[in-house]
Amino acid sequence: MTAQSNIMKFPEKSPYVPCDGDTYTACKLPKSAPDWVKEFRSDAFARFKEQGLPTQKLERFKYTGIAKAVKDFDGVLGESKYTMDGEAAYIAPLSDSFEKDWVQELITQEAPGAAKYGDSALWDLNTAYLSEGVVVDIPAGKHVDKAFVLALETPDDSFTSLRFIIRLGEGASATLVENHSGQGEYWKNHAVQIVLGKNARLNHVINHADSEDATYTMNAHIRLDRDSYYNGFALNIGGGLMRHQMQADLEGTGGHVSFNGLNLLRGMQHSDTTILVDHKAAHCTSNQFYRSLLDEKAHGVFQGKVHVYEGAQKTDGYQLSNAMLLSPDATMDTKPELEIYADDVKCSHGATTGQMDEEPLFYLRSRGLSEKEARLLLIRAFVEEVVEKIESEALRAEFGRDIEQWLQTAL
Amino acid sequence: MIKIENLKCQIETDEGEKEILKGISLDIPAGEVHAIMGPNGSGKSTLSYVLAGRDEYEVTGGSATLDGVDLLDMEPEERAAAGLFLAFQYPVEIPGVNMSTFLKTSLNAIRKQRGEEELDALGMLKLIKTKCKELGINDDMMKRAVNVGFSGGEKKRNEVLQMAMLEPKFCVLDETDSGLDIDALKVVADGVNAMRSPDRSFLVITHYQRLLDYIKPDVVHVLAGGKIVKTGGPELAKELEDKGYAEFLEAA
Repeated sequence: MTAQSNIMKFPEKSPYVPCDGDTYTACKLPKSAPDWVKEFRSDAFARFKEQGLPTQKLERFKYTGIAKAVKDFDGVLGESKYTMDGEAAYIAPLSDSFEKDWVQELITQEAPGAAKYGDSALWDLNTAYLSEGVVVDIPAGKHVDKAFVLALETPDDSFTSLRFIIRLGEGASATLVENHSGQGEYWKNHAVQIVLGKNARLNHVINHADSEDATYTMNAHIRLDRDSYYNGFALNIGGGLMRHQMQADLEGTGGHVSFNGLNLLRGMQHSDTTILVDHKAAHCTSNQFYRSLLDEKAHGVFQGKVHVYEGAQKTDGYQLSNAMLLSPDATMDTKPELEIYADDVKCSHGATTGQMDEEPLFYLRSRGLSEKEARLLLIRAFVEEVVEKIESEALRAEFGRDIEQWLQTAL
Repeated sequence: MIKIENLKCQIETDEGEKEILKGISLDIPAGEVHAIMGPNGSGKSTLSYVLAGRDEYEVTGGSATLDGVDLLDMEPEERAAAGLFLAFQYPVEIPGVNMSTFLKTSLNAIRKQRGEEELDALGMLKLIKTKCKELGINDDMMKRAVNVGFSGGEKKRNEVLQMAMLEPKFCVLDETDSGLDIDALKVVADGVNAMRSPDRSFLVITHYQRLLDYIKPDVVHVLAGGKIVKTGGPELAKELEDKGYAEFLEAA
């Protein structure tokens, strides 16, 4: 059993300070890193400068503007408090892991989606600051029973840029929990890289309970070898402006990936989930299932895409987004997409957005439930169908408490 | 028991307000079963919805009381607590809510409103088991989501199960026979007949006489054009079966 607890100071100088308009000038890069890291940071920074922050003219940022929310951040890295508890052969701060070949190989890959969409600015920005984060490596055949818990607390008025790298060897299995919280206004621009070996299994459960004034931009890239399994669940309950961008590459036959999530949003909260699943091999399955409850002026976005490559026969890809609007001022934008280059596949997508149905409400009231009880029962049912995707009963109960509290105050 | 006097209601349509019930009067004493028959569009289902308190229907006149208590002033859940039960023509599917949670929440909501103690999990389980057995319902149904994927017969049997659980004073059965084969119809009718008692009354709404072979009414009313146009004994149902509704459609 090893436990890591880190409170890390970021370098005082940032690699960039924004000037007027959309241009950025480089400042000092963080020191004490191998040459390849320094070089890769400045390359990434050059790419970021060239692109600038993503604007809504970009296809995948149509519904989410970032620039306005982050304009007051001067790019000086703030202090981020995070702890990682868990059991693994290797668990260490990113900055202590640069010497590992596999880490270098992973980091120096092209940003996910860069070639296809040309919108990798936020990933590049994260790379430009590359120094802090956690690396977890679980060796082949190891089953980790106790969940890894990554707890992140972000202070007011800060900008943080963390990178998490998780690798599971052949046949390994684990559960990773992320608990996000913070105070005041901050911007977290994080990147996550997950590599699953043959037949590896990862359950990844995330509780986004950031401050309501926070901006969270996240890019995750998951690579799955044959017969591996990734099951993700995100509870998006906190945060002001959230952008969750996930890409999964199914690289070997028989792989499975699922992205599930629940948006519980109110006030002016905005949460954008943009998913790309690349089916590059045959006999893989993918599931995207998001439910949203939107109150007041909240805005939810679901953009899911399944891309089936030539030769990826017997692909089974599924996308579903259901949103329930609890207020006339709430909005939901959904864009499910399919791009298929194989002829023997099963792919489907569905999206619904609407208010609560009157029929079941009346049916329940005619059976004695008050309007409030009936609404609560229907909303709970709506929510539970996606929460069930969390495999661990203990985690379902833990998330259930936060969800129930939100529901009680929504009605 | 139930007294309806000159009940009128209208509904908002694209072409403006439309009157559907044009003055209905009914008096059903305790222990009696009354049937309402009528052609499509005569207002049969509207009457059941108005009694249960569905809010798209605006009551424009008249009254409806249950044991002297004004129903029309109450919320749907208060009517349920007062002893009214509507067996729906099209029972609603509720994904994600399983039958046992639904029955438990419903019965306890009514008990709470009536000032009775809520039933604990064990007591509830026992009651559900007993009622299921009486109605020939497989326990497995309790684990399924309410009406989701139920056959037509299962949906209607489920309505009767709820009725048996909630023990209402006055039951409205809205076209309970629709979509049922003869075997399913018998099961449902047996369930209803088992609940007949001197202190409970029924209003059986149907398009066909067939149901009334199994649930024998004391009185039959014919509803056409939003009004009751004829009232008689069980023989009236037979007459309608033979002659059809043509004469009443003209009269309305």
